[in-house]
Amino acid sequence: SASLSERSEQMRDKLRKWREDNHRNSEQIVDVGEELINEHASKLGDDIWIIYEQVMIAALDCSRDDLAWTCLQELKRQFPGSQRVKRLAGMRLEALEKYEDASKQYDSILQDDPTNTAARKRKISILKAQGKSAEAIRELNEYLEQFVGDQEAWHELSELYINEHDYGKAAFCLEELMMTNPHNHLYCEQYAEVKYTQGGLENLELSRKYFAQALKLNNRNMRALFGLYMSASHIAASPKVNATVKKANVKYATWATNQINRAYQLAGRGTKENKCSVKAVEEMLESITMS
Amino acid sequence: MSIKLTTQAYCKMLLHAAKYPHCAVNGLLVAEKQKEKKKDSHSTPILCVDCIPLFHGTLALAPMLEVALTLIDTWCKENKYVIAGYYQANERTKDFRPNQFAEKVGARIAENFSEAAMIMVDSTRFTMGCYEPILAIYDHHENKWKCRDCNADCFEDWCEAQKITSALLEGRSYESLIDFDNHLDDLRNDWTNPEINKSVLHLC
Repeated sequence: SASLSERSEQMRDKLRKWREDNHRNSEQIVDVGEELINEHASKLGDDIWIIYEQVMIAALDCSRDDLAWTCLQELKRQFPGSQRVKRLAGMRLEALEKYEDASKQYDSILQDDPTNTAARKRKISILKAQGKSAEAIRELNEYLEQFVGDQEAWHELSELYINEHDYGKAAFCLEELMMTNPHNHLYCEQYAEVKYTQGGLENLELSRKYFAQALKLNNRNMRALFGLYMSASHIAASPKVNATVKKANVKYATWATNQINRAYQLAGRGTKENKCSVKAVEEMLESITMS
Repeated sequence: MSIKLTTQAYCKMLLHAAKYPHCAVNGLLVAEKQKEKKKDSHSTPILCVDCIPLFHGTLALAPMLEVALTLIDTWCKENKYVIAGYYQANERTKDFRPNQFAEKVGARIAENFSEAAMIMVDSTRFTMGCYEPILAIYDHHENKWKCRDCNADCFEDWCEAQKITSALLEGRSYESLIDFDNHLDDLRNDWTNPEINKSVLHLC
């Protein structure tokens, strides 16, 4: 019937959007995907294989081994001997916490294809899952010496360093990302956050510059706006800066506060919480102009 | 001296952890400001009446945490609350010990509120049924964090907390839970979570 195929179209579109956005909303993917597979498989054409893969990974996230197994069998049948399917089988072993078996699975992929980046990255994920951060960091560094353009890997490494409070090395990873993605406001903003966390006047000034840069690239980035306010206010309040620098930073901080105020006014529907946020922002403004 | 949790506070903590099972999450607990300093400070435990979910994912960065603390501090003053605790659930399920970051934030909160508690969520015991409290509560004594046993006594009403938290988990209320990260993504997202507060009240 017309409405039934409409429904399957909608579900298909949802899954496609979630794939494109790399959304980890696994419960929803399982809900939609399971229904699609069970009741509308015939309408999916060749899309069905990528959907099986997407649903399988989501099923692993939700401990739905029954569903994951079904998807895996379909993929094995359709693509016998595929490395991509072998990797999925490995992920299932990881989900079952059978790390040694999973590792062997990835090793067998690498024997046939030593450049298989997916298998190498899964091995590093196993180290992460086992809490072996130092080893994961070491392996990831080695991986990046070979695959220096892998952005996902650089970003993962920056996060591993941040969790170890090694902000200097995290900053280095983000510098790599900013070099190859100069228009990405998120990398700028994250770099600024790392610099701010490192502390010290020089790092604060750098963080302010990069928060400002992130705002130039995307003037709706609230983290960059708040970050600009925080870094500029701290610089202005520092006893180590001269009057010129202080004046300039008060100006930046004031500008940021006004922008923040405006953003809240635009967003606010007069809700109690937004009124309080606006009040807090006003108090922030008062505190800089007073000093 | 020791803190107790209301259903609303416990519930929102667990919903936050449930919304991001693959991430570390953290947040604050707030208590009503005591009117006067009681002479016998051991008599009434501090009641944490609400929970403000903060971040998910990479926790150990300073700027947004400072922003959140500043804004929430102002909100607290308006509502006669005080920030009384900090909670964290680590990324790895099996890892429920407080790390350096949790201790740092906890210590900062303790500067303004001496009886502040640090709470770690034990995800290994996290079930839909919520049959047992899954928290480890740490009190600050002589610059060290000491773990206290968490049982039904740590709650204003454990039976109610268990029942309502379980019901909201089953109903997937965590999908609509807002943390401070969500708020920074879109300022219209309300980190006080009025809808979930209503649901909790409704089920009481």
